[in-house]
Amino acid sequence: MGNPLPNCTRVGFLAVAAVCVAPAAEAASGDVVAELLGPVFRQRCVQCHGEAGSPAGEVDLAALRSSADLLGKPNLIRDLVSVLDAGVMPPPGAPALQGEQRDALVAELRRLLHAAAASRKNLPRTPMRRMNRFQYGNAVQDLLELSVDVFALPERMLRDYDYFRPETGKMPDSLKAGSRPLGKSQLIDKRLAGVAPFPQDLRAEHGYDNRGDHLTMSPLLLEAFLKLGRSIVDSVDFSQVTSGAWERLFVPDSAGQGTESRIRAALRRFLSRAFRRPASEDLLDRYVAHAMARIESGEPYADAMKGVISAALASPRFLYLYESAGPDGSAGRIDDFELASRLSFFLWGSIPDEELLDLAGQGRLLDPAVLRGQVERMMRDARVKRFCDSFPSQWLQLERIVSSVPDPDRFPAFYFAKFRSSMHMMLEPLLLFETVLVEDRPILDLVDPGFSYRSDLLESWYRDGTRPQKVPPVAIPFRRVPVTDRRQGGVITNAAVMTMTSGPARTNPITRGAWIAGVIFNDPPDPPPADVPLLPQEDGAGSEEDATLRERFALHRTEAACASCHAQIDPLGFALENYGPTGVWRDAYDSGQAVDPAGVLFGSYEFRDIVEFKDAVLAEKERFARAFAGHLLEFALARDLEAADEPALDRIVDRSAGGGYRIREMMVQVALSEPFLSKYSPVLSEKGSL
Amino acid sequence: MRVTSRRAFLRGAGAGALALPWLESLAAADRGPAARPPRRLAFYYVPIGVVRRGFFPGERDAGLPAFNGDLSAIVETRTEVGSHPIQLARTLEPLEAVREKVTLITGLDRTFQNGTDVHAQCASCFLSSAVPFGVPTSAWPLDRTLDHVVADEVGDATPFRTLELSCNSHRDNLESIYFDNISWYGTGHLAPSIRDPRKAYRRLFGIQEVREYRNITDIVLEDARSLRRELGTGDRHKFAEFFDSVRAIEERMDKLERMKAELSRVSISEPAEAYLPRGDYIRLMGDLMVAALQTGLTRVATFMVGPERWNTPFMFEGLFDKPVSHHLMSHEQAEFGDQLLQIDRFHMEQFVYIARKMDAIEEAGGTTLLDNTVFTYGSGLGDGATHQYTDLPIVVAGSGGGRLISGRHLHCPDGTPLANLWLTQARVMGVGLERFADSTGLVTQVLA
Repeated sequence: MGNPLPNCTRVGFLAVAAVCVAPAAEAASGDVVAELLGPVFRQRCVQCHGEAGSPAGEVDLAALRSSADLLGKPNLIRDLVSVLDAGVMPPPGAPALQGEQRDALVAELRRLLHAAAASRKNLPRTPMRRMNRFQYGNAVQDLLELSVDVFALPERMLRDYDYFRPETGKMPDSLKAGSRPLGKSQLIDKRLAGVAPFPQDLRAEHGYDNRGDHLTMSPLLLEAFLKLGRSIVDSVDFSQVTSGAWERLFVPDSAGQGTESRIRAALRRFLSRAFRRPASEDLLDRYVAHAMARIESGEPYADAMKGVISAALASPRFLYLYESAGPDGSAGRIDDFELASRLSFFLWGSIPDEELLDLAGQGRLLDPAVLRGQVERMMRDARVKRFCDSFPSQWLQLERIVSSVPDPDRFPAFYFAKFRSSMHMMLEPLLLFETVLVEDRPILDLVDPGFSYRSDLLESWYRDGTRPQKVPPVAIPFRRVPVTDRRQGGVITNAAVMTMTSGPARTNPITRGAWIAGVIFNDPPDPPPADVPLLPQEDGAGSEEDATLRERFALHRTEAACASCHAQIDPLGFALENYGPTGVWRDAYDSGQAVDPAGVLFGSYEFRDIVEFKDAVLAEKERFARAFAGHLLEFALARDLEAADEPALDRIVDRSAGGGYRIREMMVQVALSEPFLSKYSPVLSEKGSL
Repeated sequence: MRVTSRRAFLRGAGAGALALPWLESLAAADRGPAARPPRRLAFYYVPIGVVRRGFFPGERDAGLPAFNGDLSAIVETRTEVGSHPIQLARTLEPLEAVREKVTLITGLDRTFQNGTDVHAQCASCFLSSAVPFGVPTSAWPLDRTLDHVVADEVGDATPFRTLELSCNSHRDNLESIYFDNISWYGTGHLAPSIRDPRKAYRRLFGIQEVREYRNITDIVLEDARSLRRELGTGDRHKFAEFFDSVRAIEERMDKLERMKAELSRVSISEPAEAYLPRGDYIRLMGDLMVAALQTGLTRVATFMVGPERWNTPFMFEGLFDKPVSHHLMSHEQAEFGDQLLQIDRFHMEQFVYIARKMDAIEEAGGTTLLDNTVFTYGSGLGDGATHQYTDLPIVVAGSGGGRLISGRHLHCPDGTPLANLWLTQARVMGVGLERFADSTGLVTQVLA
């Protein structure tokens, strides 16, 4: 009996420790906590965030006497910035802070956060992690210089038909694309026959599928890797036709070079690339000896080398991404080779190419000018398709469209033959993202682009929720069309996102609001506490006619604990109520009741409709830029961001502001950022917990 | 029952291996005649709790659980502490077929560690339930789970130290690993499960390219050793998973080699690649688990019948016309009570199917596989609506080679940790633990 149940307030879990001994206040300017923040906290916050025992008393602002009390708690400062900046606190019902006062508080808190981060010697650490299967497939393809895929993966949602040409800086006006998870058989991609991928790794909550804590190893998986490596070299499609490395790896020398020296030369190059740093002589000796032993036991040259290659593909030096450690507790720069790998896994989802490894070998990659040049080169390279195949779909959580099944009785047009219209819908935001990247457009185009790629089905769908008689199920023609109606277009107001955030029969404003909070503003609400009920019929079983949604949602505001989250996410969701459960525009519900999308954003922008909502997002473009930069950085670092990363995030945003937040400059700034170039070896107990 | 205080246990731990008298006799029995069949341990995890009224004796007419976060919704059984004749409420009715070989256990609790999702924690920590905040700086009270702790003792003789199966066939990447796994080598170190019956079959009974693997594990292991020297302490701990994996594979290859002849006699054929209705799918995975336990491929298995939360609907063929979301319905017992009870009963029927399958396999001394197994049905939530961690639904089938009583309903006193049952089962399996996770003692009443 007596289990505490989870608490939904975002800052609620931060227990504040006992008051520190106050040091001398900052002599010159006075102490900002004592003089500015403290009085506001005492006047406006401590009623709830004061003594333990009060409703939200886990955050204790009454105990803060000077800056020193706050400096040791960067996560608390970050959360204070977050709730004040977004207008979440003070909660609804309490008088809001005045704009100027709020801005001053936020600015001072940001300054404190930078100071707190600067006083820390280290940034959070990215743990060693196994490649996920997407990275594994790409790495093997690059390593063996394959002209075909290693295996087909549904998580690469968009199948492109030769339109992707990042080197041209332009996306074509018309193109063909297909959906892997929802389209016809995945097996139409050219790939290595007989090679099956290992199971997909699950994503971290509010995170990406490259996170160390989710990428572990087990006997089951290692066995899969042993088999997988073997099945790759044994595939009938693995040959001199499909592999550019064939000659070098599997054809014995005819010019009298000698078997052993040929093997040594071939393996030196192969293993250095596979393991992303120069192969040591020890390591090379082992692999050469293994190959020679096979040959001496009578295996043909090519077979012996295949055995060696399959071993290398199961080696932890291939499978794991890691940074070599300094002494425990040390922090510092990563080395050139580690940087090469971070870059290639960030932008290409794969191992570095020889140019990156050569620059690393020359010790030049950490030079900021060289580094910038390489990031720009990599973004013009066709391999940046892998970034487009992983980041945007995970950022937008588009995999949710795969399991979206609108009620067939109410939305019969959604289904045709064995297919769903969602196979068209899911491609639209992905093509938009690719366009922004290939054409180096400002990231604000992701929200309000003025153009889109549409298929016939989508044109018809947005017009009136119908679809054409004939729908191509495989290679779908898309045309670039201007979007003059600003209610449409962008990564928010598209049919895919609107459908996947709805229930089968009706929209779900909370799901949509939570999606916007997490994806667009990078401030995901905590999961709802398990002890609250769904609103009636939230599962989609009923109709919308019983009462207006807003009346029912008012329930959220009656409890302070609920209100602190829902005051934030509900208005975001209601702003989208004009989009029905399959993304088709509506002015009124089926009952005839008019849709009311009005609300307030960031505590200060009143909007009447979705266009004004977009205007507010655009007016506060720095917020969106910061949120997007956070997503990029989290993906690039393969770890969760912490308060210590905030200064780096601010710099990424500041430095890309000049060019209007063009996406490539943001990505360059991510690669130049302190966390991307740092590593850290923490001191741990023998138990090894982190 | 006597609940040993935590303090007493800590003293005991300081004194080294503390063998209780009954344990010695068990250990002696283990060394008895070679003909005595080995004991097996298996778990059947049901996600998202159950509807209490359908499960717990005496609660049929209890009110519907409500939601309001002040804990008043939590339901407590009014059953008297102690042993009672078993009563089969609606969800338990399928147990009639094995009534004499099961024990219903109520009143066991887990402690929620604030900070992680209630569904994620109830599954991932079901078999570990570490002392809250006892795993330093991890958000999860998650430690090496009971199946692996037991396999550390009894798994050496079998090709697979443990077997992990799951019937989560969802293909959308909706939830994190914590919702989807009950078996863990340790904090942050997942023991992944097999979900595809064909893959399970091939892994268990397929022909292995043993020699080829042996050939390359040496070189892989040497790479791992040299790599280890470059890592910091934190990464070295994580990297241990790689060594453990290589070792496990090598051992398994040796053992499978020796078992080849025996395995060729198993009468189970490779599953076809086809969509299976949910019941067929679960039963086929159950058949594979039973075959693995029967043949000695493993002695320890976990079986997760579905993932926690994961709102994506499943089609329950034969129950409903349309796919339904178990989790979404679970919050609304007033509206979906009947469907939920059907799902609860359906899960129980599959459990009984597997138990009966075990009971049909004869082993030495007039016993059956079920007699020699401890096969536990359980969920990490005491109710799908209240999300309580207290008064969990537990049914134990089999008697662990005669060491457990059956045919009774035992109600434990308030606050008895689930880990007490796990400790008791570990002892039955011959593992001389003094304490497991947050256990405070043994559940002596279930011992024969």
